[in-house]
Amino acid sequence: MTKKFTVHSSQFTVFVFIFSLFTVHCSLSTVSHAKVYIDITSPAMRKLPVSFSFTGETEAAEITEIAKNDLDSTGIFHPLESNIPGAEITVSINVNVSGEAVTAEVSVFDLIENNEVHRKKYEAAKNILRILAHSISNDIFKAITGQEGIFRTKLTYIVDVSGKKELHLMDWDGYNSHKIVAKGLTFSHSWSRDGVYIIYSSERDKEWSIYLMNLKNYRETMLFSSNGLNLAGNSSPDGDIAFSSSKDGSPEIYVMNADGTGSKKLTKSIGIDVSPVFSPDGSQIAFVSDRGGSPQIYIMHADGTGIRRLTFEGNYNTSPAWAPDGKQIAYVGRKNSNNQIFVVKLDTSEIRQLTDKGNNESPAFSPDGMFIAFDSDREKPKGIYVMRVNGEGLKKISPKGVKAISPKWSPFLR
Amino acid sequence: MKNFFAVILIVFVIGCAKPYIKPPEKPHPAKAEEAKPAEVKKEDAAGEKISLTPAEVKKEEVAVEEVLSKKEKEAAMQVKEESAYRDALFDFDSYDIRTDAREIIDNVASRLKKNKSINILIEGHCDDRGTNEYNLALGEKRANAVKDYLISAGTPSNRINTISYGEEKPVCTEQDEDCWQRNRRAHFAVTK
Repeated sequence: MTKKFTVHSSQFTVFVFIFSLFTVHCSLSTVSHAKVYIDITSPAMRKLPVSFSFTGETEAAEITEIAKNDLDSTGIFHPLESNIPGAEITVSINVNVSGEAVTAEVSVFDLIENNEVHRKKYEAAKNILRILAHSISNDIFKAITGQEGIFRTKLTYIVDVSGKKELHLMDWDGYNSHKIVAKGLTFSHSWSRDGVYIIYSSERDKEWSIYLMNLKNYRETMLFSSNGLNLAGNSSPDGDIAFSSSKDGSPEIYVMNADGTGSKKLTKSIGIDVSPVFSPDGSQIAFVSDRGGSPQIYIMHADGTGIRRLTFEGNYNTSPAWAPDGKQIAYVGRKNSNNQIFVVKLDTSEIRQLTDKGNNESPAFSPDGMFIAFDSDREKPKGIYVMRVNGEGLKKISPKGVKAISPKWSPFLR
Repeated sequence: MKNFFAVILIVFVIGCAKPYIKPPEKPHPAKAEEAKPAEVKKEDAAGEKISLTPAEVKKEEVAVEEVLSKKEKEAAMQVKEESAYRDALFDFDSYDIRTDAREIIDNVASRLKKNKSINILIEGHCDDRGTNEYNLALGEKRANAVKDYLISAGTPSNRINTISYGEEKPVCTEQDEDCWQRNRRAHFAVTK
């Protein structure tokens, strides 16, 4: 049922992205609500039947379809056409178009309690209709679950173009994909906590350096360069950046200030220490080390003390990614000669395997912890997939025919 | 000042001469399809003659040939030297120097000793079964292991550079042990 929309040219999308930061105006206040219709943390949750209806210009159908797909992908709603009975919540969308401006009026109504739980008017330029629709999805989601929606988040990912590795950016549903770094071999990217910067490593003229890109103006700054391999990790809430560098011979974990100064070595081992990731609260760093004879996930305090091994099953566990609540870590484990996505709980060390088809790598949590994005070769070429954390609701989101790997999810974006 | 003009001239010559060596294949794809190939060529040639005399054209061709042949010679020399170096191969998820790799690295060390004008870049590579980022670290360790071996064999460390490409520059893409083994390598590239 997914509709196809025109894919914008790169420059145009850049403009749209920047423009979009300012142009979805919302007016009228949200009707106050206290009731949470669905407790999404409850394991025995049933799907909430929601009907969608729209009136007005042709754009109304597009907006409704996007909102419906957003909400359906969470697995907690059962979207119904407006003429099908059984809905407990109705969403009505009325759209007016005047020149290039689109106005959408949205009402969310609780049929059981006969009560309007959300009403809001949205205004946006026609060319950012999808952003407008995702904003509507976020508000509907919040009205019903009490939680913030991820429907305006984005993902960065790596595109393999005949040996070159480019950094691309796309909406969470795979639309508006465009290139942001084309120089060299680009890898190990991550989002700053405010969603404005991307930190990444790039190999140019036979040197691996760490760079920063400002998504507001697409300007690139080099943060760190030295002999050897320099691979960026992620940043802490304070802005400190964890990275792996082999400047003294062997790849070790370091931290540095947000501007690339004051680098400090945290680990010392004769083997490999790589892929450092700060925990959501910045107090700990997970990383990969082969100090025990095979690559395994380790955790230490952010100052480098208290190193402990987290994974023990199998002889190849890499690519750690923290869940937003800091209670579990997703990683790639090698099982029966294939790479699969696993999740380990920090308190009990309990392991769950989430994939079993083909090779699946590079897990990344959505900022609400509801989804995991990863790359998979289950269909050729390799592409980016999104699933819910229980492994359900799998869908491919990266563009068709593009070899896409290594997704990284943005924080909440507005 | 003379040199400056010479540089300008070369840049000009290279820039202008391109269409003569290899005309743009399809300046207007839609039009080119309709027109006969001969006519397109004639139009191109006529367009260029406006700005250049035949003598100038000749001069450009010679200059371009000179530039190319110099570059080609250099490249050929590097390729010839590099062909004497075989890749040092590794076991899966390992950066230990194998017995069969020692002879290969010893050969590199002795060639570097004889030919003092060249330096070496060791590229560390991996097969594609591991994860990309870990493989970059693994490739780095492989390149460093070979570098350490070369140093112990008497090569000065300032003549050796290393780079890791992880699994990003494979020599083959088949999913079998033969191909995986060929990709788990330290490759030697000659630099100046």
